[in-house]
Amino acid sequence: MFSITALRTSLFALWLLAAGGGIVVISNYQDRQGSVGSTPEQWPAVRQISLNHDHDTLVMFAHPQCPCTRASVEELNRLLAQCRGRIAAYVLFFKPGQLPGNWTKTDLKQSAAAIPGVTVRDDPDGMLARTFGAETSGYVLLYDPRGRLLFRGGITAGRGHAGDNAGENAIVSLVAGQSTSLQGTPVYGCSLLSQSCSRRGASQ
Amino acid sequence: MNSSTETSNGAGDAISVRAAELFKEQQQNIIRHTDRIFSWLMPCQWLASVAIALWISPRTWAGVDSQIHPHVWFAIFLGGAITSLPVFLARTQPGKMLTRQTIAIGQMLMSALLIHLTGGRIETHFHVFGSLAILAFYRDWRVLISASAVVYVDHLLRGFFWPESVYGVLHAPIWRSFEHAGWVMFEVTFLMISIRKSLSEMHLVAERQARLEAVNETIERTVAERTLALTLENTERQRTEEQLRKSQTQLAQAQQIASLGSWEWDLVENRVTWSEETKQLYGRTPEELGSPMEHCLKRVHPEDLPRVNQIMAESLRTHEPFVCDHRVILPDGKERVLQGRGEIQLNGEGKPIKMFGTVQDITETKRAEDALRRSEEQLRQSQKMEAVGRLAGGVAHDFNNLLTVIEGYCGLSLQEMKETHPLYKHIQEILRAAERASSLTGQLLAFSRKQFLQPRVLQLNEVVQKMEKMLRRLIGEDVELSTVFDAALGRVQADPHQIEQVILNLAVNARDAMPRGGKLTIKTANITVDQKSSFRNRVLEPGEYIMLAISDNGLGMTDDVKSHLFEPFFTTKGLGKGTGLGLATCYGIICQSGGDIRVYSEPNSGTTFKIYLPRTDAVPEPAASSDAKLIPGGTESILVVEDDSAVRKLAVVILRGRGYQVQESNNAFEALELIRKNSRFDLVITDVIMPQMSGKELCDQIKGQLPQTRVLLMSGYTDDALAHHGILDEELSFLEKPFSPARLARKVREVLDAPDVPGRFHPNGKKQTPVELVS
Ligand SMILES: Nc1ncnc2c1ncn2[C@@H]1O[C@H](COP(=O)(O)OP(=O)(O)O)[C@@H](O)[C@H]1O
Ligand SMILES: [Mg+2]
Repeated sequence: MFSITALRTSLFALWLLAAGGGIVVISNYQDRQGSVGSTPEQWPAVRQISLNHDHDTLVMFAHPQCPCTRASVEELNRLLAQCRGRIAAYVLFFKPGQLPGNWTKTDLKQSAAAIPGVTVRDDPDGMLARTFGAETSGYVLLYDPRGRLLFRGGITAGRGHAGDNAGENAIVSLVAGQSTSLQGTPVYGCSLLSQSCSRRGASQ
Repeated sequence: MNSSTETSNGAGDAISVRAAELFKEQQQNIIRHTDRIFSWLMPCQWLASVAIALWISPRTWAGVDSQIHPHVWFAIFLGGAITSLPVFLARTQPGKMLTRQTIAIGQMLMSALLIHLTGGRIETHFHVFGSLAILAFYRDWRVLISASAVVYVDHLLRGFFWPESVYGVLHAPIWRSFEHAGWVMFEVTFLMISIRKSLSEMHLVAERQARLEAVNETIERTVAERTLALTLENTERQRTEEQLRKSQTQLAQAQQIASLGSWEWDLVENRVTWSEETKQLYGRTPEELGSPMEHCLKRVHPEDLPRVNQIMAESLRTHEPFVCDHRVILPDGKERVLQGRGEIQLNGEGKPIKMFGTVQDITETKRAEDALRRSEEQLRQSQKMEAVGRLAGGVAHDFNNLLTVIEGYCGLSLQEMKETHPLYKHIQEILRAAERASSLTGQLLAFSRKQFLQPRVLQLNEVVQKMEKMLRRLIGEDVELSTVFDAALGRVQADPHQIEQVILNLAVNARDAMPRGGKLTIKTANITVDQKSSFRNRVLEPGEYIMLAISDNGLGMTDDVKSHLFEPFFTTKGLGKGTGLGLATCYGIICQSGGDIRVYSEPNSGTTFKIYLPRTDAVPEPAASSDAKLIPGGTESILVVEDDSAVRKLAVVILRGRGYQVQESNNAFEALELIRKNSRFDLVITDVIMPQMSGKELCDQIKGQLPQTRVLLMSGYTDDALAHHGILDEELSFLEKPFSPARLARKVREVLDAPDVPGRFHPNGKKQTPVELVS
C-alpha cells in the first residue's frame, strides 16, 4: 500500500519534473538569440538597394525557409502600418546561388511582398547580409535619411514569437522622432549563415 | 422520544447516508467519465501538437543547411511526456484524485507547449480557457486550482526568467504578471460557482433518488409481503376450489344418477341458475343460465304452465314449500314429466328473496302410474262388463227359452192360420214383440261378449248393400243415405249377422242424432296401419285393415259423452227412449272380431264412427242360398232333451210337423236310458245347460256309446261354462235360442245331411259342406 502510494507519488513527481523541465527547455530555446555580425553605423555603398533621403530606411534580412521569420514579417506589417508613409522598407531574402530559383519563392516571401510599402529583394549568396552584418533571419536595421544607423535587432519577443516587443516599440518611437539614440534588440530566427560559420559569436 | 420518531430519524439518517452514497457514486461517474474524455483528448492534443509543429516549423535553417526544427522534437517528446502519465492514470486509475490532478496539470502544460509551438499566438491561449472549462467537467474545484496554479506558476516563472517572451518587453510593470492570471481567475471563479451549483443540484437529485429508493423499497417490500400472502392465499384457495370442484362433481353425478337437478331463483334480480342435471332435464343451453324465470318456464308444456305459475305464485304468497308435477317439451319435441319441489328463502324482514329447489324426472314413474291406472280402469270396466254379462247371461237363459216358446208357437199358429183370420194380425204383433225382445237379449249377450259368433269370410260392401233397403226404411225420408265403396275392398272374417247388427245400431244412432234430417254416409276402405296406434285403451297392431265408416252431420257429441259412449246403459236419450246398449253391443262385437271402433265427433258438427276389422286373405264360401219360405223336413228319428218343457214341447211339435219321428226327455239320464233302449236315433238335440248333467256331457256319452248318432246342441247364450265344455273348440253343431220353427228345421236338416263325420259342424266354414235343402 505504502509502496504503491510512494511509487505513484514519485512517478508523479518525476513526470512533473520532466514536463516542467521540458517547458523550461522550450522556453529557453525560444529565447535563444540569434547571432549578429558587425553592422555599419553608416549606410554602406551598395548597388541593390539605396538609401531613402526623405524618410528613414528599414532593411530586414530574411531566410525564405525560416519558420520563425513569419513572426518577424507579421510584426513588420504591424510596424509599417503604424509608420505608414514615413518609412521605406526593404526585405532582403537570402538566395544561395547554387540552389534553384523556387527555393526562395515561398509563402513567406509572398507575405512580405504583400505588405504595402515594402520592397522585396533577393540577396544572392547573402552578399548584402554580409555587408550589413546580418547573420540571423529577421534582423532589422533602420537608417535615417542621412544614412545613420538608428536601430538594429529583431522585432519579435522570442523565436517565432509574434506580439508586442521592444524592437517594434523602439522603431515606432524612432520613426516618430521621439528618440534619436541608437537602439538594439536581440534577434530570433534561423541563421542566415551556413553551419560552418554559424557559431561566429554573437554581439549586441 | 418515542420509538416512531426514532424510526423516522433512523429512516432520515438512512436516507441521508444513502443520498451521500448516491452523490458519491454520481460524482465518481462524472469524474470517471471526464477521465475518459481526457484519456482521449490528451493523445489527440499530442498528435495535434506534433502536426502543428510539422506544419508551422518543420525545419530550422542555417543558410542553406537545414535540420528538423526543435519544435518538432519538443512536440513529439515533450508533448508525449506531458501526455503520458495523465493518459496512463486515466486509463488505469480513473476516478482517483491524483489522476485528475495529473490530468489538470498535464493539460495546462500542454497549453504551454502549444502556445510555444504556435509562436505565442493569442488564439492558442484559448486552449487554456477551453481546458479549464473541460476540467470543470470534474466538478472539482481542486482540479481547477491546480490547473490555474500551473498557469500562474508558468507565467510567473517565465515573466521572471524570460520577461520578453511574456510581456514583449524586458521590464514589465508588476500588474502585468497578474493580467493573464486575472483572466484565468475570472473564468475559474465562474466555473467554480457553476460547480458549486451543479454539486448542490447533484446533492438534491441524490437525496431525491434516495428518498425514491426508500419509497420504492417500502413498496417493493410491501409488494413482496402481499405477494407472499397472496400466494399462500392462492394455494389455500386452490385447495378449497379443488375440494369444491370435487364435491360439485359428486353432486352432479348424484344428481345425474337420480335424474334430480337443483335450481335457484334469485327473486331480487329475477335470475335463475341451475345445476347440470336441471339443464339436461329442461333441455336448456348453457347460455341461458341466469335468465329470468319467465324464460325458464318456456319449455313447460303450455297446458301445464298456468298451473305451474299458479303454484309458484301461491308459494310466493304463503311462503310454503310446494311440489308441482309438470310436463316439459324438450327441443327435440319429446315430452318429459318432471316433479319440481321448491322452497322460499326469506330475508330478515320476512320478504322472499330466493326460491330454490329440485326438479326430478318422473316420466317413468308417471308412465307406470298411468299404465296402472289404465289397467285398473280396464279391470273395473271388465268387471263391470262381467257383472252385466253375468246378469244378462242369467236372464237370457230363461228369457230365451220363454221367447223361443212364444216365437215358436206364434210361428206355428201363423203357419196354420189364414192371413184373413181375425187373430192373424194379433199373433203377428206378438211375434214381432218377441223378436224385438230376442234381439234385446241378443244385444245383452253381445256387449257382454258371451255371444256365440259364427264368423264367415265377408265382403263388407256386399253386407252394406244387402242392408241398404232396410236401412233407408229405418232412417226415414228426412235422412239421405249415401254409400262410398272401395271397389277393391278386401275381405274380413266376421259373423255377418253381428256385423249387420253393428251397422244397424250405428245407423239408428245417426238417425237419432239428426232429428231434423241430414245425411248418413257409409264408407268402406282398405287401410294399412303401419304403427301401433291406440285409442281408448285399445291397441291396433300394425297390419292390413278394412275400415267401415258411418258418418252423420247431426248433433255430434261432447267429450264427456264421448268418454262414456261405449258403456252399457249409457244413454242421453231419456228414459224409455234409449237403452244405452247399442254402442256397447257394437263395441263388444267388434272387439270380439279382433277389430276396433273409433269415434270422431264435435258438438254440432256430426259424428263419424270408424270400424276397423283385420283383413283376411281367405276366400268366401258361397253363401247358403236359403229360402226363408222353404222349411225342410225329414223322417229320421230324433230325441229332444230339454229341461224346459215348454221349449221341449215346442221343438217336438215343430219337428213332428216336419215329419220326423220325435221322442223327448227332460233330463240327460232319462235320455241316455232311452238311447240305450232304442239306439236307432239319428239325431239327439239337447239343451246345454241342464241340471244334473249338462248337454255337453250327454253329448260325450252318446259319442262314446253310439258314434253314429249325431248331436245338436242348443243354448240361449255362450257361457264360460259352454266354452269350458269345449263346444266352441270341438266345432260341435249348435243352435242358438231363441229359434224360430224354420230355423230349427233348417238346422236339423243341416246336421242330418252333414257327411261322414257325424255331429261335425264347422263354425268358421272351412270344411262346411253345402247345406242341402229338403222340402
Ligand atoms: N251418431 C251419434 N250422434 C250423436 N250422439 C250419439 C251418436 N251415436 C251415439 N250417440 C250418443 O251415445 C249414446 C249411447 O248410444 P247407444 O249406446 O246406442 O245407446 P242409445 O242409442 O240407446 O242411447 C246415445 O244416447 C247418444 O247420446
Ligand atoms: Mg242406440
